[in-house]
Amino acid sequence: MADTAARREDTFPKLLARNAALRGDRAAMRHKHLGIWQTWTWKEVDGIVRAYAHGLLQLGLRRGETIAIVGSNRPKLYWSMLAAQCIGAIPVPVYADAVAEEMAYVLEHAQVKLAAVEVQEQVDKILSISDRLPALEGLLYDEERGLRDYDHARLHAIDGIVEDGRKALAPVPAARAALDAAIAEGKGADVSIILYTSGTTGRSKGVVLSAERSIAAAADTVVFDRLDETDEVLAYLPLAWVGDHYLNFAQGLVAGFCMSCPESPETVQQDLREIGPTFYFAPPRVYESLLTRVMIRMEDAGLLKRKMFHAFIDVAKRYGEKILNGESVPLSGRLLYALGELLVYGPLKNVLGFSRIRVGYTAGEAIGPELFSFYRSLGLNLKQLYGQTEAFLYVTAQPDGQIRADTVGPLAPNVEVKITEAGEVLFKSPGMFLGYFRDEERTAETMTSDGWVKTGDAGFFETGTGHLKIIDRAKDVGRLATGALFPPKYVENKLKFFPNVKEVVAFGDGRDFVTCFVNIDITAVGNWAERNNVSYGSYQELAAHPQVYEMIASHVEEVNRSLAAEPMMGGAQIKRFLILHKELDADDGELTRTQKVRRGFIAERYLPLIDALYDGATEADISTEVTFEDGRKGVISARVKIRDCRTWPVSAETGATEKAA
Amino acid sequence: MRAPGDGRQGIMAGDVLLAVEGVSLAFGGVKAITDVSFDIRKGEIRAIIGPNGAGKTSMLNVINGFYHPQQGRITFKGEARKRMRPYVAASQGIARTFQNVALFKGMSTLDNIMAGRTLKMNKGFFWQCLRYGPAMREEIEHRKFVEEIIDFLEIQAIRKTPVGKLPYGLQKRVELGRALAMEPELLLLDEPMAGMNLEEKADMSRFILEVSAQYGTTIALIEHDMGVVMDLSDRVVVLEYGRKIADGTPAEVSADQSVIDAYLGVPH
Amino acid sequence: MDILYKILIDPFVQMGAAPDLLVQTVWEGLVSGVLYALIALGFVLIFKASGVFNFAQGIMVVFAGLTLVGLHEMGLPAPIALLVTLGVMFFIAVAVERVVLRPLVNQPDIILFMATFGITYLLIGFGELIFGGNPKRMITEELYLPSGAIEWKAFGGFVQFQKIDVAAAVIAALMIAVLAFFFQKTRIGRALRAVADSHKAALSVGISLNQIWVIVWFTAGIVALVTGIMWGARSDVSFALQVIALKALPVLILGGFTSVPGAIVGGLIIGIGEKIGEFYWGPLVGGGIESWLAYFIALGFLLFRPQGLFGEKIIERI
Repeated sequence: MADTAARREDTFPKLLARNAALRGDRAAMRHKHLGIWQTWTWKEVDGIVRAYAHGLLQLGLRRGETIAIVGSNRPKLYWSMLAAQCIGAIPVPVYADAVAEEMAYVLEHAQVKLAAVEVQEQVDKILSISDRLPALEGLLYDEERGLRDYDHARLHAIDGIVEDGRKALAPVPAARAALDAAIAEGKGADVSIILYTSGTTGRSKGVVLSAERSIAAAADTVVFDRLDETDEVLAYLPLAWVGDHYLNFAQGLVAGFCMSCPESPETVQQDLREIGPTFYFAPPRVYESLLTRVMIRMEDAGLLKRKMFHAFIDVAKRYGEKILNGESVPLSGRLLYALGELLVYGPLKNVLGFSRIRVGYTAGEAIGPELFSFYRSLGLNLKQLYGQTEAFLYVTAQPDGQIRADTVGPLAPNVEVKITEAGEVLFKSPGMFLGYFRDEERTAETMTSDGWVKTGDAGFFETGTGHLKIIDRAKDVGRLATGALFPPKYVENKLKFFPNVKEVVAFGDGRDFVTCFVNIDITAVGNWAERNNVSYGSYQELAAHPQVYEMIASHVEEVNRSLAAEPMMGGAQIKRFLILHKELDADDGELTRTQKVRRGFIAERYLPLIDALYDGATEADISTEVTFEDGRKGVISARVKIRDCRTWPVSAETGATEKAA
Repeated sequence: MRAPGDGRQGIMAGDVLLAVEGVSLAFGGVKAITDVSFDIRKGEIRAIIGPNGAGKTSMLNVINGFYHPQQGRITFKGEARKRMRPYVAASQGIARTFQNVALFKGMSTLDNIMAGRTLKMNKGFFWQCLRYGPAMREEIEHRKFVEEIIDFLEIQAIRKTPVGKLPYGLQKRVELGRALAMEPELLLLDEPMAGMNLEEKADMSRFILEVSAQYGTTIALIEHDMGVVMDLSDRVVVLEYGRKIADGTPAEVSADQSVIDAYLGVPH
Repeated sequence: MDILYKILIDPFVQMGAAPDLLVQTVWEGLVSGVLYALIALGFVLIFKASGVFNFAQGIMVVFAGLTLVGLHEMGLPAPIALLVTLGVMFFIAVAVERVVLRPLVNQPDIILFMATFGITYLLIGFGELIFGGNPKRMITEELYLPSGAIEWKAFGGFVQFQKIDVAAAVIAALMIAVLAFFFQKTRIGRALRAVADSHKAALSVGISLNQIWVIVWFTAGIVALVTGIMWGARSDVSFALQVIALKALPVLILGGFTSVPGAIVGGLIIGIGEKIGEFYWGPLVGGGIESWLAYFIALGFLLFRPQGLFGEKIIERI
């Protein structure tokens, strides 16, 4: 069994050495540079990492100390993690697009001694906060550009460190033996990495993960999805996020597959096509924007192409999922589907870079059922999982053959879950964390004395199937003044499944009825505007357009109808809504770095608008401070219109109508 | 990227690279430039500013040989000339971008920037047709150079896109890339930030400063955004109605009363 | 009803009844189509690079053929004559650039168009002066071009291929392939595309327009020479040939003035369309369709797709 083999190597550096010995000439990592894919084999990576580790020792990094990793997905940054782990130091990856304040907090809290960064921008950012980081002794960078005239006393090129390490290591057997000893000294119980959660509420928390638990979890899912050294992934999600670290880094080292790094964040789509990953993860919004782009392109395509596309997409809707699930399908359906694969699905998957995907996952948000089945009907084995940084990802996952849009699947291997009386989901898992770094208070809040971890999510197991359903954050599930249940996210998601709607924030806890803010999707609505000769100069103008209001109102009423069909949720129908004059933005603190809505902050910031939603006004004025990407601040103000919506009588019985939503 | 123009002509940083002396240009009876003199020193960023119709673009067109002045002379790298063809200006090391972007719209970003290497390619026609031997090696070498520019300007994602399909801000960036591919000694930028949003402007400023700092390229630019001019340039020459009204550091120029009257104080 | 039957049904019945004749007709159309395509190609090359509609392209074909035959008559061996003719075409290219294009740069298109009229009459006069006005026989054998015919038994009859036609098709295809390669893959090709795209930008990166014009006119000259040889081998080399230049017009309208693939496809469509029209529908109006059908098709295109099959969409910004 693969997992017993993996268990013997209880740290990532040991896994690296095993891969170098076992499959030394296979590709371990790729990165596109100057238009060409550069490849490193396991043996090469092992050599580089060892040299790098020795270089870090020479820089004074010691066992148990921390090193920050900041930047996009670059081989040298992943090597920084491994090199640090070789000598028992702890990598702390940080979101590269974090604003200086956020970054300062994490680096200070983690007491980092070194920071490995990608480019000048991050060097500048860290230097600007260095007075808050007394422990910081040096910065390592990947790309030299723009840094030539900097003071290099505390600034080192990663290439240089690796080179120094190599030179120091080569002629001195004792040094090599010392490094071997350092790697061997690493125990599974040691801290492997600290992942800071982006913090939907309050300060980021440093999730401490141990090497043996990380590897145990990854070994389970490698078996679960039958991953091996022939698989390929593209590491394009933030490397500070648990998903990237787990799915690509940890699983890659355990299974021995190759991880590719995109040329730049903007080229991911092309890189996907060129690499053709076999294992792929994306949050629902990525699938959504891909679909929107495909649909827009099809609208602009020639008549024949468009007709063919829609005809075969209909075929796929009818038979695709059944074929994927191995259900019985008439021969004519199979033939039509095969033709569709040849003419439409195959080329489409090729354009999206999905041709070789064997296992695809989505998680993080609820995914629209239509969206989910669209991809599955094309033959893409898209599944859902539910996970947390604290679990080192997997809590539940859908095995092949048990895939549904409305659940997150049964328990992942070796995971236990219990649901509290209040409905909160608790778990114990192979990869679960040791605690929050330097934060016993919040560790105690999250981990019960008997070792259960609170997820903060409300959910329930579906009777009969054992699939878990997540409704919302436990603390967010509120009640209207009437006593009716108000799960904001549940309502929001229903509305967000419309392509024209990008983001929704619903209010209603303790109020008489439910209202919401809407962000329109500028791509979809902009395209609609173009086709209908609606002219607009900005997001703000388009958002305020009466026809756009009309369109969103019809979506809201659709949602109300579907809510009315569910006895528990019928009270949560949306009575009034408005379309915000600006897009919610992480730079303004309205979204988290993982693009989740920060409800409390928004409620505070847009208080006048919420008041207007409840006092019956038909419009309201708002002005807000915004931060431009270069850090400058400005104010935008607007008069926002408010619309009333039709609601429906709540049906006592659920029926077939529920499906229609 | 190699350093373009490393002063082979014996011109050191700080020396005058290009001098404009008493240049006048007229179209029919309309005077576009009247008796303007100024110089551009090796390694500096020189801004040419002025209200609309002040003759700034005409001045650039004179420098790179699109227009031929009726009077005055231009000295480039110590060599005086009265008229010049754009082709010759390019081969002597003057590259430029245009106010309204002049790209090869049907060609990809890569081909556009490769076109900037035209003058640097000299392997024979025969070898090129065979795509063999020295010509192939040359092509690879130039491609590498161009890829470095693409990396520098962060336009990898649009490498293969026909530039006609790109948004304006990116077209401007590609045009800068094409000019850089010529490894110019003097880079003329005609309103490099026109029509850009704040973020694009910040990016473009960064690129201009990096080109100047890293490769020592001498840059002359026309720009409307006064903030940008003050941040970027070492010296500024101010034109109004085709005449020079001021010349000096950004601080000097912005304190100059005639400039304030003509330009800064007047909203346009 | 009878007339409708004759137009809509009968020709197709005939096609089905005698497929060998249909294949023969298509083949003949294909061969003349190839030659139309070559002439159109000459137009497109020059139009793309300098924006000039070169009225002289037709006479260049004649002049090239005439020079070749004339030189041979003067006693030069055929291969040498071929080389010298190439030299002459190069000289013409240089002369046109020096005497016509360079002085007229930045003038309105119509002026340049008129100038190509001038070139036309100059070449006619010059040709007559040196080589005389009588039709000449193309030196086919001397250039090692095959003659005779291949017969292919098929479709219950036989189809006849003139070897010279096969050679023409092969040579034309080869030349188009070489040109395509030259345009796409070489530095000069890139420069040519650059000039075609924007003169201003091309100048600013140091591409010499003058040099490009010479190359383009010389390339058009080579295309003209090949066309002259092939066409001359089928009939004779005479000044009457220059009217085939007019046949290039509908081809260009069909294919688009700026598209090389358009010139090729347009040429083939016109060539095949003409022959089929003449053979199957011609008898209905007493023949002669061949001489006007091409223009008729072009007219249709002008009404519905003025940019041609492959041309760039013409969007005037106002």
